[in-house]
Amino acid sequence: MPENISIRIDGEYVAAQEGQTILEVARAGGKYIPTLCWLAGTSSVGACRLCIVEVSGVGRLLPACTTPVQDGMSVTTTSEKLTQYRRIAIEFLFSERNHVCAVCVSNNHCELQAMAQKLGVTSVRYPYAYPKLGVDVSHPRYVLDHNRCILCTRCVRVCTEVEGAHVWDVSGRGIRSMIVCDMNRPWAQASSCTNCGKCVQVCPTGALAEKGFAVDEMVKQDHNMTRLTARRGGHS
Amino acid sequence: MALSLEEQSFADRTITAHAGRPGALLGILERVQEHHPHKFLSSEILEYVAAKTDVPLSQLYSVVTFYALFNLEPQGDHTICICRGTACHTRGSRSLLQRLRLELGLPEESEDGADKLCMTTPDRKYSLRTVACFGQCALAPVVEVDHAIFGHMNEQTLHREVEHLTKEKKK
Repeated sequence: MPENISIRIDGEYVAAQEGQTILEVARAGGKYIPTLCWLAGTSSVGACRLCIVEVSGVGRLLPACTTPVQDGMSVTTTSEKLTQYRRIAIEFLFSERNHVCAVCVSNNHCELQAMAQKLGVTSVRYPYAYPKLGVDVSHPRYVLDHNRCILCTRCVRVCTEVEGAHVWDVSGRGIRSMIVCDMNRPWAQASSCTNCGKCVQVCPTGALAEKGFAVDEMVKQDHNMTRLTARRGGHS
Repeated sequence: MALSLEEQSFADRTITAHAGRPGALLGILERVQEHHPHKFLSSEILEYVAAKTDVPLSQLYSVVTFYALFNLEPQGDHTICICRGTACHTRGSRSLLQRLRLELGLPEESEDGADKLCMTTPDRKYSLRTVACFGQCALAPVVEVDHAIFGHMNEQTLHREVEHLTKEKKK
């Protein structure tokens, strides 16, 4: 039986159980902490650094999604300092890959874009890396666009822990990290993929998307129009 | 290119020897790589190991690309490792690298963001690599030639060592 403990979140006392994370306790208590990589039902990795919180007595900022609660802990979820660091985290994500909202499949349905708006990121102070990255269109139904990937590993976790297929993983390290399919093969050749589409549904950005929704994929259904205009032209 | 029976049985034996031990994968891969005459892991052997150990392909690929120790390309007979740590850099390891590149006829590769560089000559005689630090900064610049550490290198001494390797080869 886990022990009942009490912690303070933004000055309010909240009941918690040992083994819970700060994020779980805060969400249960109706407190909002921004997250990008966190995904319900899967393990937490603390990759996006947006859920960072201040814990009194601890000099550094801690990720709420992976820090377990301790009795008597006092947590601050919003402050000037936290907003500043969360903005930095978002700006780094933008500068690392080619996030061009105007031509993205996920424009207006993007968690990264929404988060940037919410945190008031109006410009990126760091030089853009403009990496030359590929787009995998081999799969008949889905697309993987590395340019939009923020390496949150939601797809990796949902595929491994929920679907049980483990098609995705992260190759390399540091700035060279990339999401890979099986042995770095085109998606269509992945023998382990079940085509379930869970990864596409959980992707916070436009990195994994369904085909047919990209800006360039729109097809004008104008054959009726031309027939009508031709008929009109014949009468007048 | 299919795996030879010998390679398969070596992989089988290694996997059996490591069976059930947590973190066995690194040990298995290291042995298998060392066993190959060109010291690398082919995609065939990786697939074989994945199937035998029940490790997902993507996870295996993730592991072998994370650790610089694993090679996915065939390596040369001789390995020359140039330290690109701070101490060695200030004592001119960049010009050593440049010089050796020219000598071995290897292409220029941008170093931006690339923490590790690993190139092999087309005849598979030499592999040129960079490392972050050997921990021998007092001997800067440091070059490792076939697992032997050489300190205080300059272009002449490096050239001599490489020439020495070439002569040894002819013998």
